[in-house]
Amino acid sequence: MASAADDLTVEDFSARSASAALAEKHYGNALLAAAQSNPDIVCLTADLTLPTETDLFRDALPDRFFQVGIAEANMIGLAGGMARNGDVPFVHSFCVFATRRCYDQIAMQVAYPNLNVKVVGVLPGLSTLLGVSHQAIDDIALMRALPNMTVIEPSGPSQVRKAVAAVAEHVGPVYLRMKRADGTEIDVAPDASPFEIGKVRILKEGPDGLLLGCGMMIPVLMDAAGRLEIEGHHVSVVDVATIKPLDPAIVELAAAAPVVITAENHSIIGGLGSAVAELLMEEGVARPFARIGVEDVFAEGGTTPYLFERYGLSADAVIGVYYAKLEG
Amino acid sequence: MARPEGMTATRSGDDRQPAWRTRDAKELAELARRLRRRVIGLVAPTGQGYVQQGLGAADIFAVLYFAELRLDPADPRWAARDRMLLSTAHNTAILYATLEARGLVPEVEGYCIDGSVFEINASERVGSAVEATLGSLGQGLSVGAGLALSHRRRGSDARVYVVLGDGELQEGQVWEAALLAGSRRLSNLCLIVDDNQLQCEGHSDEVMLHAPVAEKFRAFGWDAHEVDGHDIEGLLAAFDRARSLTDKPTCLVARTLPGKGAAGLEGIYAHNLKLPPDVAESALKSLETVQEF
Repeated sequence: MASAADDLTVEDFSARSASAALAEKHYGNALLAAAQSNPDIVCLTADLTLPTETDLFRDALPDRFFQVGIAEANMIGLAGGMARNGDVPFVHSFCVFATRRCYDQIAMQVAYPNLNVKVVGVLPGLSTLLGVSHQAIDDIALMRALPNMTVIEPSGPSQVRKAVAAVAEHVGPVYLRMKRADGTEIDVAPDASPFEIGKVRILKEGPDGLLLGCGMMIPVLMDAAGRLEIEGHHVSVVDVATIKPLDPAIVELAAAAPVVITAENHSIIGGLGSAVAELLMEEGVARPFARIGVEDVFAEGGTTPYLFERYGLSADAVIGVYYAKLEG
Repeated sequence: MARPEGMTATRSGDDRQPAWRTRDAKELAELARRLRRRVIGLVAPTGQGYVQQGLGAADIFAVLYFAELRLDPADPRWAARDRMLLSTAHNTAILYATLEARGLVPEVEGYCIDGSVFEINASERVGSAVEATLGSLGQGLSVGAGLALSHRRRGSDARVYVVLGDGELQEGQVWEAALLAGSRRLSNLCLIVDDNQLQCEGHSDEVMLHAPVAEKFRAFGWDAHEVDGHDIEGLLAAFDRARSLTDKPTCLVARTLPGKGAAGLEGIYAHNLKLPPDVAESALKSLETVQEF
């Protein structure tokens, strides 16, 4: 008979999200599948096996699984050494610790030597109760600034699975940022096409505006677009899952749109919005433009719905800024 | 490269070692003398480069590259080669002098001159002889531990050597890596702490209390002990012991003397040093014969 301790113990943070423990591990399964077809793939985690879904890898391929303790800087150095020996390390932590905590190590031991290391982060942006220490609002900016680095934030279960397969095939450093599955994710526009690094995915087409987003903002944008449609405004929604390299197709889409809005679960500085603005400015595309995201502030601990509302990562915020820009 | 003239070295008995090696202390001392002369020769034209540290580490480099490391100058990327990482990657005068003498890089030209691959801080622009771009201090032991883990997983008996500076021990990442290497019993990993007591702000023990370094590593699960960084027989024996272990990584705390062997320079504790032509000349002259040990 199980003891009270067994009944009460959880091995991850699922106690804080009732459905999480039961959710299908889209990332974990996809990584395991990739590793089963590529014997060079190794998995490193810094004391966050369950939260990064790498328990599946650990149990199936224990010889290629490395628990390295709570030491992210060392983990990146280890991965650099392993990659130099032909391994393909996938390293795992929360987004903030996988990037900001070990930025110099990633720059020197992964990006500069252009090694085949995949940095994988969960808990993007404001998707955690744990507060500012655990909220990654600058990770895209940091990773995007590194030469040789590819930056990807997929949205929804099928895209997560396909993105992992694409990342495993890609040779070179990648930062893969995503929300851990908790069972609430949906595929807003399931399609059978493969995930193509560097290509946007058009989820909805309309002439009255262009909403560009990634990751957890995709459902928010789809919601906003649906509500705008009821009000007579038919806008496009485009999933920019690859933030670097940015798909130049965005230029043409933006040139044809009366309003361009970006949305990201990240600071408005340095992430998707900045990347799009740089591209459009350099290409001479001047459209009414706004960035939805964390507005250069630190947030606070709280539930994701509360924080998204509080910090303007909401359909209401998108609709509000759409009308403001449309009316000029 | 061909064995230098006058060398009578015998192979170490390792059949997998394609290049000649020597365990003869006199020959290694002679090689170290030549490396020291090259250190002066590399730095003198521009005054750029780390003279004192290079002269201090010359015996360690001679023993590592000419006695200990399994390597093949004809095939620098040989998968079974031992890996050697210089975490204090600015100590390039001695590194390049050694790589050049070992035939792992062509003749070093343009050291510290704009456009040359032979930058003051070694990068992999040099080629495969530089196994990783280090120099952002504290990172070399992690990379070495990663290589050691990977070799073990793949069933390779290649060994990994990492040279750190004593001042570098102040970087926290060193201890993250030390903790992991001890926990995972990485006996294919050998750390050499080049204990030259130098860092930017002065004598490193005055900047931070390091001692007892070997004891600290022992507490982390390492086989660690102090060696005289100029005692060639002692270094050879220490590397032999490291190779014989099966359940622990090795840390050699090798005390070295800045400027060792060069008249006018030996014992000057200067992280950065001017090397005017007359000083360079007298240093070179004093290095025309091997110092007695």
